[in-house]
Amino acid sequence: MLSEILSIGFLTSLLAGTIRLATPILMPALGQIYTQRAGILNLGVEGTMLMASIIGFATVASGGGLWMGFLVGILAGAIFSLLMAWLSVTLRVNQVIAGIGMNVLATGLAAYVYRLLFGIRALPAKITSFQAVDLPGLSDIPCIGTVFFQHNVLVYLAFALVPFTWFVLEKTMFGLKIKMVGEHPRAADSKGISVTWIRYAAIVIGGAYAGAGGVFMTIAYLNMFTESVIGGFGYIAVSVVIFGRFDPYKAMSGALLFGFASALQVRLQALGSGIPSQLLLMLPYLMTIAALIFASKKAEFPSAYAIPYSRMER
Amino acid sequence: MSNRTSIKVALEIVGTVLMVVGALLIGAVLVVLSENNPIEAYQAMIAGAFGSKQKIAEVVVKLIPILIMSLGVSIAFKAQLWNIGAGGQFLMGSIVSVAIALYVPVPIWLRIPLSFAAAIVVGAGWAALAGWLKARFSANEVITTLMLNYIAHYLLLYLINGPMQDPYSDLSQTDVIPDGMRLTKLLGPTFRLHSGLFIMIAVVVLMIFFWRTTLGYRIDLTGQGEKVATYSGINVNRTVILTMGLSGGLIGLAGWIEIFGIQFRLLDGIAGGLGNTATIVALLGSLNVYGVIAAAIFFSALLCGGASMKRMTDVPYSVVDVIQGLIIIFVIAKNVVWDRCDPMKLFSKKKGYSQHAE
Repeated sequence: MLSEILSIGFLTSLLAGTIRLATPILMPALGQIYTQRAGILNLGVEGTMLMASIIGFATVASGGGLWMGFLVGILAGAIFSLLMAWLSVTLRVNQVIAGIGMNVLATGLAAYVYRLLFGIRALPAKITSFQAVDLPGLSDIPCIGTVFFQHNVLVYLAFALVPFTWFVLEKTMFGLKIKMVGEHPRAADSKGISVTWIRYAAIVIGGAYAGAGGVFMTIAYLNMFTESVIGGFGYIAVSVVIFGRFDPYKAMSGALLFGFASALQVRLQALGSGIPSQLLLMLPYLMTIAALIFASKKAEFPSAYAIPYSRMER
Repeated sequence: MSNRTSIKVALEIVGTVLMVVGALLIGAVLVVLSENNPIEAYQAMIAGAFGSKQKIAEVVVKLIPILIMSLGVSIAFKAQLWNIGAGGQFLMGSIVSVAIALYVPVPIWLRIPLSFAAAIVVGAGWAALAGWLKARFSANEVITTLMLNYIAHYLLLYLINGPMQDPYSDLSQTDVIPDGMRLTKLLGPTFRLHSGLFIMIAVVVLMIFFWRTTLGYRIDLTGQGEKVATYSGINVNRTVILTMGLSGGLIGLAGWIEIFGIQFRLLDGIAGGLGNTATIVALLGSLNVYGVIAAAIFFSALLCGGASMKRMTDVPYSVVDVIQGLIIIFVIAKNVVWDRCDPMKLFSKKKGYSQHAE
């Protein structure tokens, strides 16, 4: 048993799985860095991912092509998150309740859309998903090739988004405005920055990233849709952002940690380790709680975190 | 109650009803899109909820856990603690109830109070854990209660496929609890309505008085912000843990009642969507006991009617879920819009849900 765990084959497939399973957490987490930096706690990420996963999947299933499905998924995420923007920025409602509402709505809507488009069936509808890209030379390297170079293209895209997100937040005017709106909305307002529009933008960008993560699950990780396909990844992404102290690179480490927990669970099950699978399935959720214990006190939240801004009130 | 506040309460009710009607109208559009007749669908729904004595009894059966859980959720919400882990706390209560009922080697009459107390304690502990994580490590309770839901769910799956699985069956479920331990059927063997109804009534009565007790007042103050509470000499951290515990205790109790009154065994799906529904009902009822009662009755009827609609027509059940989601969003949007348009808003002390509670 132990020798099997320590074998090279097990370790390489575990690490490859870590990277693959980090992707659907990394994408929404990076997006939520924009949103949370702007001072909005969007718990509706879970529902946003679910909506994107079904709509992107349906696009592919109806013959739209994988890339079309991916783009439609991103768009669906952006559009669904507009609801959060309207509720939290325009109406200034409690962001926690708005997020819960969006998730309940998405659960119903996603199931409804699936039923409407695919009917009642004995077997789930399936598509041909994104396949691993073969990088000549690199993919064939023993071990390293398996771990790093046998993934589908969306996995690489997700990791490429890490420096991109960092650049936008740290090196552009737009990133500066997002941080200012999250730290001190009144000062931003007095400088002529529209708090409303920056927050809308930060939420919609977060929604687009979440959409990418959601649709990844149905067209690149799996090749079908189930109602539990997101399974808490949206909430985990939100905690990864807090765990990563709102920094893209630290969030990436966080996402990899969760990818590792999920992959370990999958690999140990495949190995028939004797540990009941249901207990292994708890791993990522237990780790989320552990991560919050570890990170929350140290995390420096944006000063206007989860506080609506109104010009009229002091 | 002054004239002014009664007008305000009336407006509040009218607004909420309008929002519910709006959600039902959008539901009707979804029914049309699924190529069904919305009038038939809603007729099937109403008949499914109130069509016969049996149907009405089923609505009450559903009402028992929903109302108790929603009251539990509203205790936490009042303190601005977003306990959305009702599903997990319910499961933990159910699990411990069945475990004690089946395995503890004491006389049956003793197992009933023992499991009753244990369900409350374990439900309370599961929620208080999230409260403690918040107080001690400022871990966001929304995320922790949710993660605890997943953990409780997998624990249930583990138990019914492993140590607690019925040894005489291949199904993923436990053995049923002994006949003598079950709650009495109130309307004879053909109706499922059970004596858990009286526990529900007792909980409601307790909750009406609860907000007038010192503890209730402390919880309410905690909800008005840490500063307010601290200035009033309240130990916020202790109140957070205690509030979550009370909230989870009631929810665990609902788990016990479901086991002893309806399910008699553990199997996957016993929590159904009860956790989400309890959250929505608490919000829809503005965290006010009477409001929660009205909302719970409405939702029990909606769920029973929806299940019946699914059997009688081709309308997908997910329409009912969409209606639930729309109701929350409409009601929170309404609260804000109402507040802004309200000429009497100067009289309201603070924003948010707690303002409507008496």
